[in-house]
Amino acid sequence: MPEVKKTKFYGVFKIKGKISTINLVPNQKVYGEELIKEKSVEYRVWDFWRSKPAAAIKNGLKGLPIEDGIKVLYLGIANGTTASHFSDIIGKNGLIYGVEISDRPFRELIPTAEKRGNVIPILANARKPEDYENVVLSKVDVVYEDVASDDQVQIMIRNCEKFLKPDGFAIIVIKSQSIDVTKHPRQVYKECLQELEKYFEIIDKVELDPYEKFHLFVVMRWKG
Amino acid sequence: MASYQVRTFIGIFFVDENKKIISFKPFPKDPKEVAPLLNEKSEAPAEIEKFVKENLLKYAIEYKFVKNQIEFNQFLTKVNSELTKQKIKESASRDNLIIHVNNAVEELDRSINIFVERLREWYSLHFPEMDRVIENHEMYVELIGKFGDRENFNDNRLNQFKEKSSGMEFNKEDIETVKLFSSDISKLYELRKEFTNYLSKLLKEIAPNFSVLAGDVIAAKLIAKAGGLERLSRMPSSTIQLLGSEKALFRFLKSRGRSKSPKYGLIYNHPLIQNSPSDKQGKIARLLASKLSIAARIDYYSKEYRGDQMKKELEAKVKGILSLKK
Repeated sequence: MPEVKKTKFYGVFKIKGKISTINLVPNQKVYGEELIKEKSVEYRVWDFWRSKPAAAIKNGLKGLPIEDGIKVLYLGIANGTTASHFSDIIGKNGLIYGVEISDRPFRELIPTAEKRGNVIPILANARKPEDYENVVLSKVDVVYEDVASDDQVQIMIRNCEKFLKPDGFAIIVIKSQSIDVTKHPRQVYKECLQELEKYFEIIDKVELDPYEKFHLFVVMRWKG
Repeated sequence: MASYQVRTFIGIFFVDENKKIISFKPFPKDPKEVAPLLNEKSEAPAEIEKFVKENLLKYAIEYKFVKNQIEFNQFLTKVNSELTKQKIKESASRDNLIIHVNNAVEELDRSINIFVERLREWYSLHFPEMDRVIENHEMYVELIGKFGDRENFNDNRLNQFKEKSSGMEFNKEDIETVKLFSSDISKLYELRKEFTNYLSKLLKEIAPNFSVLAGDVIAAKLIAKAGGLERLSRMPSSTIQLLGSEKALFRFLKSRGRSKSPKYGLIYNHPLIQNSPSDKQGKIARLLASKLSIAARIDYYSKEYRGDQMKKELEAKVKGILSLKK
């Protein structure tokens, strides 16, 4: 019998030594992950090679502000791999607004979203928050950003100004190779954090090596 | 008393200036029917619209549109995925076809090469002399399909070798099997021809100016590399000049000037560059790229045909460059 252990992260469990979340839609896989059934509860294994928050947890993240019933604005949702685990954690009363610029990933995202009922797919450019402000009904608790763009810090700030609650959290995955390949990643992180510190209180930061090379996972609180 | 219309996912609210709801006209509960109704904009001040949106869940339950938040979220998700599907349909354009056909041709080339290599090794067991004599792959494949056994060959280039060939004997089944392989490779060659014809038709339709200047092969490759005509049309000509040479470019950037910067990417194969002396190639690449970027913009935005005129201008300028002394 595998033992299910709670972790310090809300809605995240350890089972057979792997971290996982409770499947919101039983019997449905999202990206070919392992499903483990234990005492009539189904857990979806959170693959840290494929999802950055999982890699961050593996690398010693202290806390993740994703909780039951919250609203999340997710910039760069792509196929919905990471979003599906957020969707598990926030449950049916929570809501994820998933913004993605490319139309290709929607082939996988739309079926996932329709099954889950708490992920809203939005085809839009995260640089232009005006384009989707009529879809986002009210301010959100968390803004999560994982986009490959050299102005990703600016995109984050602009979206937080528009959509984040005054005491809300922001999570950004800084991609040093997208920002400047010629500089050392640590140098890029330093510059980004300096810029972010003007708007946010930085709570925690974790490098994602070896799961994602040259990525920094940062959890912050909005100074509003 | 003034009343404003606020259009939401669940229906139209009529609100007075004190943010009081006067009446509510619900939309049908089928997300597919709701999506097209949302194309119209609300005609209310931003403040009132914001107020209604923020309290939408409360109203949705109050007017018995949904029972609870779970149902509300589900409805919201479905309506938005309908809207997104609609948007994707509108945004898909025909230049995506060019990308796929071009990539399919490149993949076919790779596959054909692998298969022909295998066929040559295989058939050389039987007729090793033919490998050297027939250098053209397509011809080699065709000849095997046509004659099969070495004894049956009737080709001026090969007749002298077939009697004293050092190859082993193939029985009937051996020959039939190798013929089967060659006929399938021939089919791949045919497929490739079909694809390239279709590709040049597409290019004429979608990017007439650009393809006249660049030539079909390079035009298709550049559009595929850029990810579509729209993106290509927004690129500066210096980027177009180096499309396809990313490896060399980033090597240059990372080494900070210790290695040389590339002068050209995919456009290196253009006849104007190929047929010029090497000391002028860089200059011509720059010129060609600038003309190409203009052509891509004409194709994407105005669609007017100026290809022939631009080609003349380009050729005249290249002549000018070639006549310059060092």
